[in-house]
This record gives sequence, structure tokens and C-alpha cells, in this order.
Amino acid sequence: MFPFEFEPATIFYLFLYGATLVLHVLPMNYVLAGSTYLAGIALWELARGPSLAQRPLVELLRDWMPFALGVTITAAVAPLLFLQVLYQRPFYTANLLLFHRWMAILPVLIVAFYLLYLQKSHGWHKFAPWVRACVSTGILGCFAFVAWSWTENHLLSTRPLEVWKQVYASSDWFYHDPELMPRLAVWYVGAFPVLAAAMLWQLWWGGQFGTTTAVTIGNLAQPDHSPLAPTLRSLCILAFVGLAGSVVAGLGYFLFLDEPVRARLISSRAWPYLGVASVGLLGQAWLWRYVWKSGCVCGGTIASLAGAIVMAVGAATGLREMRRTATVDLAAYLEQHTAATKIGGIGVFLVFAVVCTGGITAVVLAVRRGLAAGNSPK
Amino acid sequence: MDFPFYPSNDFGPLMKGMVIGGVGILHVFLAQFAIGGGILLCVFQWLAMTGRSKLAREFVDGYFRWVVLISFVLGALTGVSIWLTTIQISPRTIGLMVQEFHWLWATEWTFFCLEVASGYAFYRYGKVLPDRTRLGLRMSYSIASWMSLFWINGILSWQLTPAGWLEHRTVWSGFFNPSFWPSLLFRTITALAEAGLFACLIINLATNWTREQKQTMLHRAFYFLAPMALMPLVGAWYFAVVPDDSRRWVMGESVAMTMFMTLGVGASMLIGAYAVVMLVNRRNFINAMTSLVLIVLAVGATAGGEFVREGMRKPYTVRNVLYSNSITEADAAEMRCNGGAARDPYPLKNEASIPNEQLRLGAKVYRMQCSICHTEEGANGLLGLVRTWTPSQVRLNIAQLQRTKPFMPPFAGTAAELEALVQWLAWREAGNPTDWEVSAEPEVLKTIQGHLDEVGTVSGIALMQQNEAAARIRHQDERNQKGSR
Repeated sequence: MFPFEFEPATIFYLFLYGATLVLHVLPMNYVLAGSTYLAGIALWELARGPSLAQRPLVELLRDWMPFALGVTITAAVAPLLFLQVLYQRPFYTANLLLFHRWMAILPVLIVAFYLLYLQKSHGWHKFAPWVRACVSTGILGCFAFVAWSWTENHLLSTRPLEVWKQVYASSDWFYHDPELMPRLAVWYVGAFPVLAAAMLWQLWWGGQFGTTTAVTIGNLAQPDHSPLAPTLRSLCILAFVGLAGSVVAGLGYFLFLDEPVRARLISSRAWPYLGVASVGLLGQAWLWRYVWKSGCVCGGTIASLAGAIVMAVGAATGLREMRRTATVDLAAYLEQHTAATKIGGIGVFLVFAVVCTGGITAVVLAVRRGLAAGNSPK
Repeated sequence: MDFPFYPSNDFGPLMKGMVIGGVGILHVFLAQFAIGGGILLCVFQWLAMTGRSKLAREFVDGYFRWVVLISFVLGALTGVSIWLTTIQISPRTIGLMVQEFHWLWATEWTFFCLEVASGYAFYRYGKVLPDRTRLGLRMSYSIASWMSLFWINGILSWQLTPAGWLEHRTVWSGFFNPSFWPSLLFRTITALAEAGLFACLIINLATNWTREQKQTMLHRAFYFLAPMALMPLVGAWYFAVVPDDSRRWVMGESVAMTMFMTLGVGASMLIGAYAVVMLVNRRNFINAMTSLVLIVLAVGATAGGEFVREGMRKPYTVRNVLYSNSITEADAAEMRCNGGAARDPYPLKNEASIPNEQLRLGAKVYRMQCSICHTEEGANGLLGLVRTWTPSQVRLNIAQLQRTKPFMPPFAGTAAELEALVQWLAWREAGNPTDWEVSAEPEVLKTIQGHLDEVGTVSGIALMQQNEAAARIRHQDERNQKGSR
């Protein structure tokens, strides 16, 4: 089973990389799908006028997107670090080959970040609908560019020296790879179920359902009998579309892969990942169907959804590395990985990881206590 | 492809050092503002809670909005920019840093997470939270941001003064290196001063405060510049622990370094003088424009300081380990035998326009060994530097580069590669003619080999130290001889 064909040092860093990558992917999905949702609604409103049914979700996203981007960027630091320990040479080479194009993600992210704050501002609704549509689609454009660039960089890093030499000599701004669009589609479509679950949790945790225990409003397919029904319905549809799209995009991507890579991804070494991913996807589908049928949301539903998402994203991360190691000779970097394990500092990292996790928990609890003392945020 | 060959990019008329320097200065300035700002906000929150200042609470909320908008966005992303830009400039250097200190970098990341959590919690809920919680969030933010400085400071200062790490190769011998503490203290003082200056600007931007109210707050903000009084002492401590050669370059042996040092010191002195005037006479007032001018001076001081810190490492990026062109002393020795650029697998981007193979090799030598600090004709342009030299002078000076200038690394390649570089420089100087004769005289190569062998691959620093030691022995012998007479 992957990654146990590698030496312990490599497995250790692969595990760290995978675990921290999942921590990055979850908020990244929220940002990517959330910006798509906001841009879609902004365009809809430009064409058809205000969409009151979507207002709770739109307001929620507007409010939390800057924070989500901050978390995404911060969470990206750790996997980026372990990536450099694991795949230093291919990663650096891809960075260098894409040069200006790659570096452009940074100013683009800065622009997106400020536009998110503009979108969150109190005066947002005073802007004309076309301005709001421009800003929201601009934000989506920025994130789409970053997602595309990352995918391009990743794919280029998996290619052999001959391809690198061609790309370098050509001085092209873009690297065209047949895997690029299918791969991007998998990432993109797969972001929506995560967004739906995260928003469901936010609404429930924030007391938007009037309770943080359990709420039942009946079958969502029936005509509206609760003001919550349109919001829940939107989340269910978002999740269903995302889940179905993920399966289609995943199969499509599989067909675009070279034969040896495909063989690796359906070999017995990949079965555990495929199995866990299937359980995660089916689990989410079942849970959303339950929400749709019963209109019931409770802590158990949300915790189960979270578990299913972590399974799906975790397994997808494993398959992602299997695909990469099909064309990157990771064993060639064993000496570097072994040397890295002998370097001190892990104890300090573990201690401060616990301390800072405790600190973050204390921050959350302190804020909740403070708010419960009688105030609530405006 | 055994040597870590990477594709090399050309930044046109800009030196690569200018690119990383520009990004670095911007990030350092913003990060220091965030660190100092965190501490300043703690103090002002405490002033509000203890009733010492009625305006402090309002100020804290207004100031923090700026911290979030500037530091959380620009500060965070310029931090990532430094990482990615360093990969563009010197992948091997950042690779070594990551390899040696990845656990400490990961530790820094845990503090980033805490910083973001406490910062956003305050940004979003601060206005409606009780004072005790507000202070708790502020303290959590300040500690986390200062700790991020603590960790990165050890890694950056290791580059100049790895000291014990060279012998023991343990993470802590590298982290707690000789320049760690003075550097950390200096940066903390700078962060406090920056926070105070930004506070002056933000206080002036408040529209609902009277002049007297602003004056009171401005004087409180200026207390954060008071630690600048320690800067000369801490600066002297820093210069006492850095290598002799680095110190001498800053103190006059390298005009550019001395000028940047003067810029840093001069700008800091002007800010310090203004702080003294403000702190001594409480009737003084500082308006928004003056605050802005002082902030610009602080940018100048940061730029000067960072340039000096980066420049002092020459000819290394990691002292005694990795030369500025990402070649080790062992690599250089190996390349003298087996060649370096000739093995570079990456083609030239303008290969078709170069008339012969020797010139193509020369272009590759330039790309691999020189382009990290030089451009062809732009900033620190190589063509301009060698324009007045005769061909034999070019051969000698490049073959014995570390003697020509001790802050240059030794030439890493064969005599044929060196001659290829000489020919390429001459061809470029001649305006890239379509025909160019190959230079293949055995005598020339023999002469170059003689120059190379004479100096070896030892660094200019080591040569300097050897020469100084020899001079001291000679001087001692002369004194002994005089004494015995």
C-alpha cells in the first residue's frame, strides 16, 4: 500500500505533507467555491434583480471570506515547507520555469484579499449591481488564476528533464499540459461539498437556526414552510452538484492520465484510498439526502459530514501523491529525507504545536464566553 | 545532471539582489510594524482598562483595523513572496535553509496560526468583548507575532554567523548563533519604533478628536521610540560579533555598503532626534505629514539596514558553506577538474543568435556563475566592469576572482570555460557580431590554468586572513630582529 513502498524517512515526511495539505485544502475549498458562489449570485442579481432567498448565504460568505483566505494562506505554509523537504528539486525547477507567471499569483492574491475586504464592507450594498458583479467576478478570476497556476506548477514539477528543457528554451508564459484542465476540474468541483458543509456548520454554530442543538423543518422538497428551507435547500443542491461533479471530474481526469499512471491508480496499492474516498463521498451524499428529506440539522449530522469530508479529502490527497510519485522518482531523494530526519527541532515543534493549538482553543473559548456575557457581534 | 543545476532566469536590467532586496525590505518593514503594533496595542488596551487614558480603547480599535489591512494582507503575502522570490534567485540557498531548519520553520508556522486566530477574533469581535478578553487577545497576538520574529531571526542570522554550526551541525548551534541576540534585540526596538510612528499617523487621521486629545495620545505613542536610545549599543554589539571582514566592508572598505549603512544610521538618528524633542517637551505636536515623513525615513533606515545585513554575507549566502552563486568550495574544486557550465543541461534562450559553441559555453558560464549578482549591461553590469581591461587582464582577474575582490567567489570551472566567458564578454562588447573566431590557442589556456592553479578555490576571505596572518608574522619577525639588534 502506498506510501509503504518507500523508506521510513520518506513516509514520515509524506505523512506530514499530506496531513498539513488537508488542513490547507479545506479552507482553500471554502474560498474557491465561496468566491464562485458570490460571483454567481452577483451576476444573477445583475440580470434578475435581488435574490432574497440567497441572502443568508451571501451575507455569511461576504463576512467570512477574508478570514477564510487568511486561514488558507497561513495553512499553506506548512505543506509548502514539507513539500520542499520531499520534492525540493522538481518543485524549485517548476517555480523557476514558470517565472513571472508563477510569481504573479502573489500580487493577484493581494488584489483578491483587498477586494474581499471591499466585498465585506458595510457600504457594499450601496454600490451599483454592475460594480458588485465586477468585484465579485474579479475575486473569482483572481482565485481561478491562482488555482490554475498551482496546477500548472504541480504538473510541470512531475515532468522529466526533457520537458523542463523545452519549456525553458521556449520562454513561454504558459505551460500546456493535457492533464491541466481535468485536474483543475477535480479540485474545483470538489470544493463545493466542502463549502456546503462548512456553511451548514457556520449557520448552525452561529445560531442562525435558532438553536445549536437540533432543528427539524421537514422535507425540503415540499413548498416553503420555514424561512430556513430555501437556505438549507441551496446548501443541499450545492453539495449534490459538487459530489456528482467530483465523481464525473475524477473519472474524466483518470481518462486523461497516461496508461502507467492509470495502472498505478487502480492497482491494489491504491485500493485503500479509493475505498476511503468512496465511503467519504457516499457518506456525504447520504447525509445530505437525509438533510433534504427530513430538514433536520444537528451536531451529529454536521460532525458526520465533517468526518466524511476529511475521509474524502484525505484519500484524494493520498491519490494525488500516488499520481505524482508515478512520474517523480521520490526514492531518488531518500538521502535528503534521511538527513532531514536527523536534524533536531522536532521536539520544539511538537511542544509549540500543542501550546499554539491550546492558545487557539483558548481564543475561541474566550470569545464565546465574552459574547455569551451579553453581547453579540454587529 | 549531478550538480544541482536549475534553470536560471534573467531579470533584465535588474540585479537579482535588487529584486529579493525590494521584496525583503517591504516585508521586513510590514512585519516589524505588525510586531511592534501588537505590543503597542497591548499597552494601550491596558491604559484603557486602568483608566489612564479615555481615548485608548477607541484608538486600539482604529489602529488594529490598519494592522489587519496592512499586515494581515500585505505582510502575510510579502512573507510568502520572499520565499518564492528566494527560490527564483537562489534555490540552493533556500533549499539548505529549509533542510536545516524545517522544524523551526514549522514551529514559526504554529505561531502564525495563533497570530491569525487571535488577530481575527479581535478584528471581528473586539468591539463587543469585555476588556479582559480584549487584553487577552491582544497579548496572544503580540506574543505570537514576536515569537515568529524570534524563530525567523535565528535562521536569518545563521546565514552570516553560523559559527558553531559549522563544527557541530546541530540545529541549536546554528540557531543560537553569535548574532542572534543582538539582531533580535535590534529588530524588536525597530518594531516598537515603527509602531509608534504609525500610531502618530493614525492618531492624526482621527477626525473626532481635538488637538489636545491628539497631543496626549501622540506623546504616549512616542514612548515607543524611547528604546531607540539603545540602538547604538545594540548595533555595536552586533558589529562586534560579525566577522571582521564583514565589519570592515561596512566601515569603509566597500563604498556601497558604507553608504547604505550611513543611510540607515542617518535616518535612524533623524527619527531618534525627533523622538527626543517630542518626549522632552510635552507641548510639541506632530502632524500627519511629519508622521508620514518619519515613516518614510523609517523605510529608508530599514532599507539601509537590510542591504547591509544582506551585503555583509558576501561572498557567501551561508558563510563558509555556500557562495553567493550557490556553489560550494567543494563544487568549485570539482568543477575546476570536470567543468561546470559545460554540464548545465538547460539550453540558452537565445542559442540561435550566438555564432559558435565557445560563445554559447561562455554565455552559460555567465548565467551560472555571474548572473546572480551581475547583469550584462544593467545594474552592476559585467560588460561595464570589464570594459577597460585588456583580454589578459580579464583572464587573470576572473581566474583569480577572489583576489581581484575578496567578496567575489572563486571561479568554478575549467580554463576552457573561463576562456569561453572571456570570449563571450568580448563578443557582447563588440555588439554581438554574426561571426566570431573561436579562441583555441593552447598558450592562452595554459596561462589561464596557471592563474587558476596559483590561487586555487579557497575563498577570498580565507586568502585575506592568510595574508593578514602572514603580515602579522612578518611584522613580528621584524620587531624581533630589531629587538635582538
